Amino acid sequence: MTAQTTLEPSPQRAESRAKSMVTGVLRTLASSPEAGVVTACVLVFVCIGLAAPNYTHVGNLQVMGRDLAQIGILAIGESVVILTGGIDLSVGGLAGLAGILAAWLNVHEKLSAPVSIVLTLLICAAVGFWHGAMVTKLGVPPFIITLVTFTMSQGLALAITTGTPINDISPLFSRISSFHVGNVPLPAVIFVAIAIVAWFVLERTYIGRQVYAVGGNAEASRLAGIPVARRKTGAYVASAMLAGIVGILIIGRMNVADPSIGSSGFELTAIAAAVIGGVALTGGEGRILGIAAGAVLLEFITNGLLALRVSPYDQQMVQGGVLGVAVLADRLRARRFGAQRRQ
Amino acid sequence: MTVANEPHSRAVSARLWGVQKSYGPVRVLDIPELEIYAGEVTGVVGENGAGKSTLIGTLSGSVYPDSGEIEIGGVPLAVGSTGSAAHRGVALVSQEFPLVGQLSVAENMLLGRRPRVSKRRVLVDYRAQRAEAAAMLKEVGLSPKQVSVNRQVRTLPVPTRQMLEIAKAWGREPTLLILDEPTSSLGPVEAKMVLGLARTLADRGGAVLFIGHRLDEVRAVSDRVLVLRNGRLVADLQPAEASEERLIREMVGAEFARSGAKAKPDHARVLFKAEGLTADGLGPVDIELQAGEILGVAGLMGSGRSRLIHTVAGAQPATGGSMELAGRSYWPRGPADGTAAGIALIPEDRKQQALVLFAPIHSNVTVSILRKLASKGILTPKRERNAAKKITADVKVRMQSVDQPVGSLSGGNQQRVVFGRAFATEPKLLLLDEPTRGVDVGAKAEIYELIDRAARQGMGVLVASSELEELLWMCHRIVVMNQGLVVDVIDREDATKERIMTAAAGSGPRATGALA
Repeated sequence: MTAQTTLEPSPQRAESRAKSMVTGVLRTLASSPEAGVVTACVLVFVCIGLAAPNYTHVGNLQVMGRDLAQIGILAIGESVVILTGGIDLSVGGLAGLAGILAAWLNVHEKLSAPVSIVLTLLICAAVGFWHGAMVTKLGVPPFIITLVTFTMSQGLALAITTGTPINDISPLFSRISSFHVGNVPLPAVIFVAIAIVAWFVLERTYIGRQVYAVGGNAEASRLAGIPVARRKTGAYVASAMLAGIVGILIIGRMNVADPSIGSSGFELTAIAAAVIGGVALTGGEGRILGIAAGAVLLEFITNGLLALRVSPYDQQMVQGGVLGVAVLADRLRARRFGAQRRQ
Repeated sequence: MTVANEPHSRAVSARLWGVQKSYGPVRVLDIPELEIYAGEVTGVVGENGAGKSTLIGTLSGSVYPDSGEIEIGGVPLAVGSTGSAAHRGVALVSQEFPLVGQLSVAENMLLGRRPRVSKRRVLVDYRAQRAEAAAMLKEVGLSPKQVSVNRQVRTLPVPTRQMLEIAKAWGREPTLLILDEPTSSLGPVEAKMVLGLARTLADRGGAVLFIGHRLDEVRAVSDRVLVLRNGRLVADLQPAEASEERLIREMVGAEFARSGAKAKPDHARVLFKAEGLTADGLGPVDIELQAGEILGVAGLMGSGRSRLIHTVAGAQPATGGSMELAGRSYWPRGPADGTAAGIALIPEDRKQQALVLFAPIHSNVTVSILRKLASKGILTPKRERNAAKKITADVKVRMQSVDQPVGSLSGGNQQRVVFGRAFATEPKLLLLDEPTRGVDVGAKAEIYELIDRAARQGMGVLVASSELEELLWMCHRIVVMNQGLVVDVIDREDATKERIMTAAAGSGPRATGALA
């Protein structure tokens, strides 16, 4: 029974067993949404790489690595929340606020950089806990409560700074963001590490499987004795803390804490990466491989448009179009290969 | 009716004292004292809203009673805690199928717990999980060939999911197994299996609480039958005393009079005709329906009963053949074409498919005729409410005002609203899929009356139902389906349960080549 060794359950299994191994594997691949995104990543990278030689230069790859860390880490946090059946609109705003907080604690409160970072992350965790409590105890729709935080954190960032960027932050911030492990920027390494931890927790631990169960059917989970409120709250805390990490990486990269970071629309990019990667907005469905690939694909395209010298006036249009094509292709794949997804 | 409690030597599995529960001003459960015995199957019957679900809820910990105490196996239960109840050996098989569709069968079977033999505390032991899930399925008679433990649950048909639920409960080795209408979605073979399991557990010394909707089933399997009405225990009967008539009388609280359909079909007028109609999993099917005729569609689960209804309504695309409605060719490309041609479909699931529960009655009944009500495209609240009053009066909805939310009405009254809306479009052909599912005995009679009225007004009625008594009682003719084909057409005079079941459960038309 070769089928027993694969983890992902697939309705095609019964038929594919009879056919050759190769067809079976191909079918399994085609029926999983992750395969499509990964393929798209490779195709986009190769095509743009051939068209614009600069694209594959080490320098540009490093730029992409740092950008990817930002989108990717946010996308992972966002996805964990979506997996539990919620949504977190605050990640962009919170990332911006986290950067401001860390800088402010460091510059104005004269705290050392590590202490500022730890404090900032704790504050983010508290915000995530607040989201979880409001959602699970008072039944506030996640969309609303995180929208409140989104607005509040943008406002707070402006209020703290009165609109002017905070300069003279500790050099440690920029060292984190510009450090390289071999040729790989540290933020990209952090992203990969977070992705691996997230994958392991979601796929290999009981807690992770319970996250899927809660998102798939909260009532069934409650009746089965799964601590639903705790799993949901945990997801919001994880998302908020990951947003905090991204905020700190961003100020390090810019070497200044700009209060406008929170309004760059990161949350929508994170949601887009998750959905492209096969996360169902209804919850309970999606895997880290796809989410990471979704973030990679978005980064490849965004950076590729620069490499191809597409006019800045046309870039967003192309991005939107690519998103549309990706979603369309996924729906067609799902229909063709019958994996009933995202109803 | 007092609760007969002769001194028993039987061991008590569960005991309730003074358990009360109210939702708002309505007391839904009031049980001064009740004992459920080990080694017995205790049947529970009652109309919808009689308190069955609340009783189950308090025992399984999902409902928090306002007062009272519950003991399971002599130990007090922390009320309102599913964990505590589960710990005391209470296992509930609910009608809702609390399964996670996205997860595999194995993960669902062990939802919320670890495999017994696994030493791992944090990491998932998939191998042990699959092995234990397969063993659990085997216990209830499902072989790995029928259901792979790796299958995603949402790809499974409803009866299989019900069996998974049962296997899940069974796997917890319960001391008190609560079965909430477990057979309502099962075919006859699985239903028999489930009744057998209930018996087995009782023989092993466990207690079974069997909430049933098919009275014959409850009588067959139970050692004792409880009847609930309006949240109170009104009868505690031995199987010998629990005749069907007696049970219905206790449930309704008054004599339940039955009278057959009064409508007379107009044999001269063929209203609807389908020839060689095919669709996915259906046909070729030939049927003919006269004006004023109630044509029943019988068949087992998956026989094409619902598919026929949906294909005629246009909700499922037809792939071949021809249809004719009121003398004109009819070929719907979607449900909207069906409505335009004069077809009204009353779907199976009132709450999901027919009503917006939180919206007021008036917007629910007028939604299909808004175009007609609007003058030059503009609606006025007054016209809408007046129309709503007329429609609801016509089908006799019992309510305080048309402004109250539909969700605040009883099941039977909600169904009246659905009928009112359908009648308001003045349809020629009325299609019904399981018109009385989830409706209590009293409301059923009212629905039969509404269907009969539709026929008297000259509509043709095509009604699919899994309840044979219902079809036998109200239909002029019954077509029996098996594997997507019509295998028998029976006139009312010749219709018997046996004949229908023989055709419906027969080895199948594909095997024998029989075609009615």
